[in-house]
Amino acid sequence: MGLTAADLRVGIERISARINEIERELNAADAKLGDGDTGVMLRRVVEQLVATSSVAPDNVAGAFCAYAMTSSAATGSSLGTLITIALTTASRIAQSEQEVEWNGLGHLLDAVVEAMSKRGGAELGDKTILDGVSAAAHAVDGLSDPRDIRAAILEAAGRALFEYRDRPCRVGRARMFAERSVGLDDPGMLAFFHVMNAALGDSSEHRVPMSTAPAWASS
Amino acid sequence: MKKLLNSPDTYVDDMLSGLCAAYPSLVREQTRVVRSTDAPRKGKVGIVSGGGSGHLPLFTGYVGRGMIDSCAIGDVFAGPTVGACVMAIRAADGGKGVLRLYGNYGGDRMNFDLAGEMLADEGIETTTVLGTDDVASASPAESSKRRGVAGLIYAYKIAGAKAAGDASLEEVTRVAKKAVDHTRTIGVALSPCQIPGAATPTFTLAATEIEMGMGIHGEPGIWRDNMKPAVAIADEMTDRLLVERQTTNPRVSILLNSLGATPLEELFILYRRIAARLRDAELQIVQPLIGHWATSMEMAGVSLSLLFLDDELERLLAAPADCPFWRV
Repeated sequence: MGLTAADLRVGIERISARINEIERELNAADAKLGDGDTGVMLRRVVEQLVATSSVAPDNVAGAFCAYAMTSSAATGSSLGTLITIALTTASRIAQSEQEVEWNGLGHLLDAVVEAMSKRGGAELGDKTILDGVSAAAHAVDGLSDPRDIRAAILEAAGRALFEYRDRPCRVGRARMFAERSVGLDDPGMLAFFHVMNAALGDSSEHRVPMSTAPAWASS
Repeated sequence: MKKLLNSPDTYVDDMLSGLCAAYPSLVREQTRVVRSTDAPRKGKVGIVSGGGSGHLPLFTGYVGRGMIDSCAIGDVFAGPTVGACVMAIRAADGGKGVLRLYGNYGGDRMNFDLAGEMLADEGIETTTVLGTDDVASASPAESSKRRGVAGLIYAYKIAGAKAAGDASLEEVTRVAKKAVDHTRTIGVALSPCQIPGAATPTFTLAATEIEMGMGIHGEPGIWRDNMKPAVAIADEMTDRLLVERQTTNPRVSILLNSLGATPLEELFILYRRIAARLRDAELQIVQPLIGHWATSMEMAGVSLSLLFLDDELERLLAAPADCPFWRV
């Protein structure tokens, strides 16, 4: 067994159930580093993904492709386009398969990071969504049990957010006031954290690691 | 914040419907694409632009004869979708290639680049020139990283005039790049704007403060300080542009732009001083443009753009054009 189109549908439904809360969180974070509308953008994309989920193909590659088309039509924002690129890349890696083997998820996420970097121009370490996805890719490497993968992704997304919070942003608008971005979460990394928690976690895990270091941060 | 709208989610589409209803020379090719009724013209190089909403008359207001042929529009302060970029390029294509001419922003770049790659398979040749006129957004040594702001309009006019004369894609691209290279802009913000649907303004400024160099989306500028007399603001803005002048030709065009809420009265108070400052520098002002050219909704403030002319640029600047917000 592996990641299926049905899993994607369930994930989108779970994100949709939390999207208003996520929208507020992301708008608030983006207001400190950008123009305060990252949450609005993501909510609009998720609304369209929900509509697509009822007609998306049953094979995972086709489903990724359908969601990529939907995302590309819903937004042209930088983060939105990176989401489209991620979905397009996932579709390409899945290659017409019914499902993505669990032990192939790390390879898929690595390819997503590479594609987003190539198109968007950011590199690892710049404090962008790439760093969150890359952390998840490394965390699932070698894992094949979906319960372990779920836990690893959630832990990695939170760890990346925590580790990068006190670093300066090196690309995008925030690069121009890099020193002021220290201590703030990058909205793209935060979006990845919230979306993964909504899709994979439960409500008790849906929280941003705050100033007190989580247990794993000292390990 | 009070805004005249029906819903934040329909803000852009309702605006585009009204714009096209007001100006029959504009046609909506698709929800978020606007084309000139003159375009595409067979045998003419097409010019396409685009970007986020919230900046009218930029970008859509300059779709017309002698300017740009089509425009892809995104949500407020967000890039247009890939699909809109594809459609806009097709709408401008008269079989002689299409120049993609837009501001240097990440989302716009990714989507126009993707669209160009997709259309290469259809045989549509495209080139790209990015507006990079905002001197506050990067140092001269990193000028390719600068953002495009109001000075992009000069590139529209220069490239549009060249394309109207049946020049090749290479020539249109060359003069567009030349216009960008000869244009410098700086802005100053007095109060913020707020994106429809966002809970807070794009930035905060104390009632007594201004920010020199702030971008049209609220990107941070060079300094923030207490309000100063208009002459001091005019002098600093002018001097920051003149220091980057690279030509010996004394002719210069000036575009003094309200970011939205700043009235014409205040623009003319500034212009009085800027014009004197330019004369003191032994420059001759050509075709001053004063008004609302590239806004940020209700943001208060101004931007000053200077186009340092040569004979070719001056001739193209004066060439005929007819679009909703520029007529010669």
